[in-house]
Amino acid sequence: MTEVTSPMSSPFSLIAELTHRCPLHCLYCSNPLEMQKSQDELSTDDWKRVFQQAAQMGVLHLHLTGGEPLVRKDLAELIATARAAGLYVNMITSGVGLTEERLASLVEAGLDHLQLSFQDIDEESANHIAGTRAHAIKLALVPVLKKFSLAFTINLVVHRMNLDRLEEFIQLAEQLGPDRLEIAHVQYYGWALKNRALLMPTEEQVMRSLPIVEAARQRLKGKIHLEAVFPDYYGSFPKACVGGWGRQMMLIDPVGQVLPCHSAAVIPGLSFDSVREHDLAWIWQSSPAFNRFRGDSWMSDTCKSCERKEKDFGGCRCQAFLLTGDAEAIDPVCTFSPHHGMLTELRVSSPDVLPVWRG
Amino acid sequence: MDINSIPRIAPGCRLHPTEEVLLVPEGTLQLSGPAREILERLDGQRSVQAIVDELLQQYPGAPADEVRTDVLSLLARMEERNVVRSS
Repeated sequence: MTEVTSPMSSPFSLIAELTHRCPLHCLYCSNPLEMQKSQDELSTDDWKRVFQQAAQMGVLHLHLTGGEPLVRKDLAELIATARAAGLYVNMITSGVGLTEERLASLVEAGLDHLQLSFQDIDEESANHIAGTRAHAIKLALVPVLKKFSLAFTINLVVHRMNLDRLEEFIQLAEQLGPDRLEIAHVQYYGWALKNRALLMPTEEQVMRSLPIVEAARQRLKGKIHLEAVFPDYYGSFPKACVGGWGRQMMLIDPVGQVLPCHSAAVIPGLSFDSVREHDLAWIWQSSPAFNRFRGDSWMSDTCKSCERKEKDFGGCRCQAFLLTGDAEAIDPVCTFSPHHGMLTELRVSSPDVLPVWRG
Repeated sequence: MDINSIPRIAPGCRLHPTEEVLLVPEGTLQLSGPAREILERLDGQRSVQAIVDELLQQYPGAPADEVRTDVLSLLARMEERNVVRSS
């Protein structure tokens, strides 16, 4: 039994951003700054065709997200099509508006896994971070979820505003009894980048959190599967972002543009082909955007000659661009980057800055 | 997990209809050797002992001790990874 990591020939997962409409306005939202309008969204038939193409290409996992996927009235129909095509169907949801009847229809259609994120253990703070009163709704949804046969993951999104409460936060998750628990530090893209100075944890907070996570991992072994994502601004080597550009996953935005990752649109000069005009397999294999950072010809000599290049693929292209202005630069998280020193400054959080919510 | 446990595949985990993998949340577990044949028999009714007996019947001459050890060790690892449950 080994985990499959990098099937080069076909992508492993497809992220479908069904809509950018969302009842939440999280301070760390990963959607692009310019969101797609609802009248331009792909039709039911477009998505169904795309899911069938994905399964034929060998994609195994489909992640339905948004925005809030529940906003789509055709959600059960989309799930049924994806499942019939052979995909494993995961939905990432705020839970807002999810009744027991609706959930029953989604599970009946073939939903395999549902992920619900919590913003804090303290209700007032959780609602503040989400920009709406969603915390109590999420708590009330959990016992409903547990009536159904599907995998259930709780995501705790952590940052400076809630990291001091991590121990109690994990205890809350334990009581709610999911199959999986993800503790993920905010990644600074999209709207989160706007609030970076507010959300950036202090070094002391990060160091204090590590043994707490490790203790939870040991305690929960065999009961709740725990995954934790380390904040990469505090690392010495970059993350293998999305498993390497154009190697493991593709993302389709609400209007049908296909991207190698959530934030690839920030990189100037890239244009993204649409499933309205092209077959998904062609986009994966041949589109300029997916080929832009494959292989090592674009890399600096430092990366090209580095033995880690097969591990982290030079790090995150979006982060390299956002922090240095050059999408081909070494990810500054890497200790070999000439820009690595800048992270010391960016790690300083500013408690007096004001939060910016998206509209 | 012991020989009298009644194992079943955890909610949200399932065998891929054609590929040699177990689909699990956020991932895939590659199946090797007899793993698929073992997992196919987890129905929440049969005990580990019953599964071992069936395998021995299907493969006469297989060393019983080894089959029992292999089945238990696979199921224990999968239980620790939270993709198999037992009662």
